[in-house]
Amino acid sequence: MPGKLFCILSFLSAVFLFSCSPKNISTNYYYENEKALDRIEESYKELYPLGPFTIGFTSRDFKKLSLEIITDTLSYIYEFGIDEPRLLDTLKAYRLDAARINTLIKEMHDIRCTWITYSDYYVDEKKQNLILMSIKPVALKAPFSYAKYYVLTYFPQPQYFDSEGRLLDKRSLRRLRKINGEVFRRINNKVCYAVTGHFR
Amino acid sequence: MKSCTHKRALHLTRATALLCLLAACAITGKALAPVFPGKVTSTQQQAIDYVEKIVELKSSAHWPNIKPDLFLKDLKNSIHDPVSIYAGKGTNFCAYGALTYLFLQDDPLGYATLLLQLYHEGKASFRKVKFDPSAAIKQQAGDLKYKGALDINPAEQMWFLTLADHYKGYLNFFNLNYDEGDENRFWASANYAKFNRMTRQLLHYDYDAMGADLMRPRLKNIYNYISEKMKTGTVVLFINNRIVHKKDHIQIKLGVPTHFIVAERISMKDDIITFIYWDYGRKTQLQISTAFFKRIVFGITWFTKKEKNAR
Repeated sequence: MPGKLFCILSFLSAVFLFSCSPKNISTNYYYENEKALDRIEESYKELYPLGPFTIGFTSRDFKKLSLEIITDTLSYIYEFGIDEPRLLDTLKAYRLDAARINTLIKEMHDIRCTWITYSDYYVDEKKQNLILMSIKPVALKAPFSYAKYYVLTYFPQPQYFDSEGRLLDKRSLRRLRKINGEVFRRINNKVCYAVTGHFR
Repeated sequence: MKSCTHKRALHLTRATALLCLLAACAITGKALAPVFPGKVTSTQQQAIDYVEKIVELKSSAHWPNIKPDLFLKDLKNSIHDPVSIYAGKGTNFCAYGALTYLFLQDDPLGYATLLLQLYHEGKASFRKVKFDPSAAIKQQAGDLKYKGALDINPAEQMWFLTLADHYKGYLNFFNLNYDEGDENRFWASANYAKFNRMTRQLLHYDYDAMGADLMRPRLKNIYNYISEKMKTGTVVLFINNRIVHKKDHIQIKLGVPTHFIVAERISMKDDIITFIYWDYGRKTQLQISTAFFKRIVFGITWFTKKEKNAR
């Protein structure tokens, strides 16, 4: 009897752990939410050239957000409650597309996207940019995965990967490219993921 | 009046030295040698005149991974635009970045000559400090990757690695020798006393420091204190950046400082502080409550120009 109980408990623990494991989340998450994620990326890509900005949710309940507006001389960092009128006023003051950014914020909120930003990287001494998005999926709220974030990178052009699907520096150099200190894995030619302990 | 005469004499000495050096270089056709590094404070224009005369650098046997053209471009860019000094993504170079930002405003010619001496000779001396970087540093400089703009700035790589290699504090005791990737680890960290020691030795400033690594400064009104100090000098703050720029949603965090920033402007209205500071190649404006501001500041270092070195 104790042996049977042990087997059942072991099985349940395994199911619990694997169902919430970062690996499982990573494999499926992008495809399950592809439309919403790509829509956020597309909106951000369109809005950014009108006035560079980044958005991040800084509270666990996704009620506070940090807005960074980047100008030639200064970066302005603000923190708002998600429904605060000051948010829209600020966006308008900087002549940003307040309505579309507000929609973007709502879409980010709905999918628990914690951060979106452009990030620079260098290939053959030339500057390139990618869009970096962090998500805190509900499943990653499980015990032992408290501080895990699903980080996606959207590259503007196809990338190179090794046989294990890890992002490479470039074709001629068989060196893993790290982004914010993390090794990323292939989802498709232009999109990669990593599961990390921080959202930016 | 006496101080004016003294300043004029210093200017004349500097100008003469610079002219002699440029003449010597024109004759020999060799790369420019250092000009009395560190003895006097210089202007940005002097440094620009100096670096712009250098058209080409030869590769240095001491720094095998540094591309000379990139080195020169980086050095010139730092002199022209000190704000652009960038400590790199994910590194622990922020203290060296803040120091360099101040250095470039205090003595840009000294900075240029020091870096060129280091590049050409593999070691350099500046005021009373003798830099003799280890072989591992010389191998790594120019080859740091995935640090953003620092990837293409080999002069800054060389300088930050040299500083981290030379100056040691208690945070570095368990990792004294450089291994690949140590720029992100305790090897490169700087505690408050180490930062102040570096600035004392390299900059022509008098300084006063308040605070510590684990204890906030005891001040009745931190805003008044900082804004008063900023009227007469340059202020560097040692702050807990992990609660300013959150990287995760963990609610209980150690209250320790992690980052050095240079204060540029500060004002207060209705208990909200508007604070402009320099870090990581740009200036940022932050609006925070006075209570939060008090919570994040652990160290306040105030620099004033030494009278004898004043421009």
